[in-house]
Amino acid sequence: MLAINRQVLDVAGLPPEAARLSRIWDFLVVLAVILLFMGAIHLHVMLTIGDWDMFIDWKDRQYWVLVTPISMIMIPAALQGVFWHYFRLPIGATVGAVVLFIGTWITRYVGWHLWGYFPFSMTIPATMLAGALAMDATLLIVRNGLLTATFGGFLFALMFYPSNYASLAPYYVPIEHQGMIASAADMIGYVFPRSGTPEYIRIIERGTLRTFEGTSVWVSTAFAGFICIFMHMIWWRIGLAFSTQKFVANAKGVKAMMGLRDDEPVTKSA
Amino acid sequence: MRKTSLSALLALLTLLFVPEQPAQAHGERAQEPYLRTRTAHWYDVKWSTRKVGVGEDMIVTGKFRLFGDWPDAVNAPSTVFVSNATPGPVFARVESFLNGVPARQSFRDLQIGRDYEYKMVLRGRVPGRHHVHPMIAVKGSGPLVGPGAWIDITGSARDFKFPLQAISGEQIEDLQTWGVKNAITWQLMWLLIAAAWLLWWLRRPLLIPRYMVLQKGREDLLTTKLDLKVGVVLLIGVIVLALGSYNWARNQWPKTVPLQTGTMKTPPLPFDASPVKVTVKEARYDVPGRSMRVAMTVNNVSDKPLRIGEFATASLRFVNGNLDAAKANVDPNFPHELLARNGLVLSDDSVIEPGQSKEIRFEATDAAWEIERLTSFLTDVESRFGGLLFLFDDAGKRYIAEIGAPILPVFRSVKVAAND
Repeated sequence: MLAINRQVLDVAGLPPEAARLSRIWDFLVVLAVILLFMGAIHLHVMLTIGDWDMFIDWKDRQYWVLVTPISMIMIPAALQGVFWHYFRLPIGATVGAVVLFIGTWITRYVGWHLWGYFPFSMTIPATMLAGALAMDATLLIVRNGLLTATFGGFLFALMFYPSNYASLAPYYVPIEHQGMIASAADMIGYVFPRSGTPEYIRIIERGTLRTFEGTSVWVSTAFAGFICIFMHMIWWRIGLAFSTQKFVANAKGVKAMMGLRDDEPVTKSA
Repeated sequence: MRKTSLSALLALLTLLFVPEQPAQAHGERAQEPYLRTRTAHWYDVKWSTRKVGVGEDMIVTGKFRLFGDWPDAVNAPSTVFVSNATPGPVFARVESFLNGVPARQSFRDLQIGRDYEYKMVLRGRVPGRHHVHPMIAVKGSGPLVGPGAWIDITGSARDFKFPLQAISGEQIEDLQTWGVKNAITWQLMWLLIAAAWLLWWLRRPLLIPRYMVLQKGREDLLTTKLDLKVGVVLLIGVIVLALGSYNWARNQWPKTVPLQTGTMKTPPLPFDASPVKVTVKEARYDVPGRSMRVAMTVNNVSDKPLRIGEFATASLRFVNGNLDAAKANVDPNFPHELLARNGLVLSDDSVIEPGQSKEIRFEATDAAWEIERLTSFLTDVESRFGGLLFLFDDAGKRYIAEIGAPILPVFRSVKVAAND
């Protein structure tokens, strides 16, 4: 065991048997965190980002870049707050990103590919791993929630597009189809029909910005970064609020209903 | 207790080993009658074959009339996408057209009361027996599904490939797998870095010890100078890698286009004025008899003698079996379950001469009203029916007239209209 680890256990006052049990507890918690947050974050992303993350022909330069980081930062920021506040562990955002990554690929494979017959090319998800790593590293360096929100939150959104572009660039090669141009992503959406998802339902870029290299992507990224700063602040606090335990004194009526005498001591908030 | 456990185990095993059943349909019967009888009326629908191999093409063609008595509850067809309804992408869509115009994009400003012609080339992809419908989706209202036919796809799904050539030169061997290996490689690389970062922290005493150390004010033990250095390296590394990979991808695929949008436009098919004026005097649905009975006045305003050959609504067809031209109008591949067995029974099947006005009752009886769940129009907030009446002249030429009116339920048996 490393000296620093032994020192931690010594300061914590844990004898070897207690340290061993606490390690088992760690594994149980890790398992619970993986399962619980895999479901929670995946559900959250499906509900708030939905088709933008599910389908390749929704990953545009304007809305996908804007909506995805703003929504994806929420639970990772909450986890970051909890992990840092109670344990000084700068891994909360990465934990969120990793469990989402695993959960998403499980559903893409089982739900969409095996059950729904959709090809993988249609359902490649985005990942927030780069942004989450940058946000955790920022927290470790600045050791402050506000500064992490300001720089880490902004970085989270800033990293989103470039870190995903290497995965998705082949889907934007141009193809001629029926005398019109289409990206490979458009073609995938067209060739493999989704009966309930007509073409017009896509909320994607409908015009072209002639500044900023003719793409709206960096404007959207910057705006997403700006919003992510506040999202981080809010969700960091939500994480802390939900990880706080409070005991509330029973009202007289409740005590009477439970058969307790009014003069019995009540537990004050701890 | 033992019995309960054994029963539970047996039930679980039964569930596990029951062979999977294909989806019998995909919800067309769940659509309300007003959607199916008063929006898009599908006719001349043809499936080029009922059996295709994986990788072979099937062509679906036909027309639809956007019904004049369009329901208030349904948005006007200002944005429409022509599609096909299938249980997932069991067919690949090769091409589609509306009035000959490519239909990869949505169309705008379709006109109520007018006809449109579509064509879809579908390629067999997933073996099985699948229900295939033409469909249009109307923005704000959702899909309007046409008649469905069971199509068998034979062969192996592994044999399916969808190759394409990009304008920029890339040869796409198979659109199903295009870019997947690249995407997974990059995402796994990010996952690897994230896993390393997590392991850096998880290998140490974790929750309880760290919490207790923090409570005792020894935060310095929890994040060391080495951790800080690793954090700085990680931050710089992530930024460099993200921007580096972005530049790499831009060099690797220098010619790219954004997702394509925009709407198409096409005029409707040439307008054929209805050769008859139809006024519905009374329409009733006989609940126990599963029969729609309509009394109407038909005024022939054309210069040709005409006979009524068919009443069609919600993809159900009631064909006048006494009229050869009407029978010849039914494609042999048309699904038999959508053809009413009793056909169309008319109180007066004689010719309607030019200028003549006739009082005619028709009866459209079939269990399909119930099977297709169309009788709930009796409980709709707007109890109306709609449909198309097909008339034929001596030469067998077909004419179309719209028919629609409020409808009343009949909850007891009544005599058949033809015998009234």
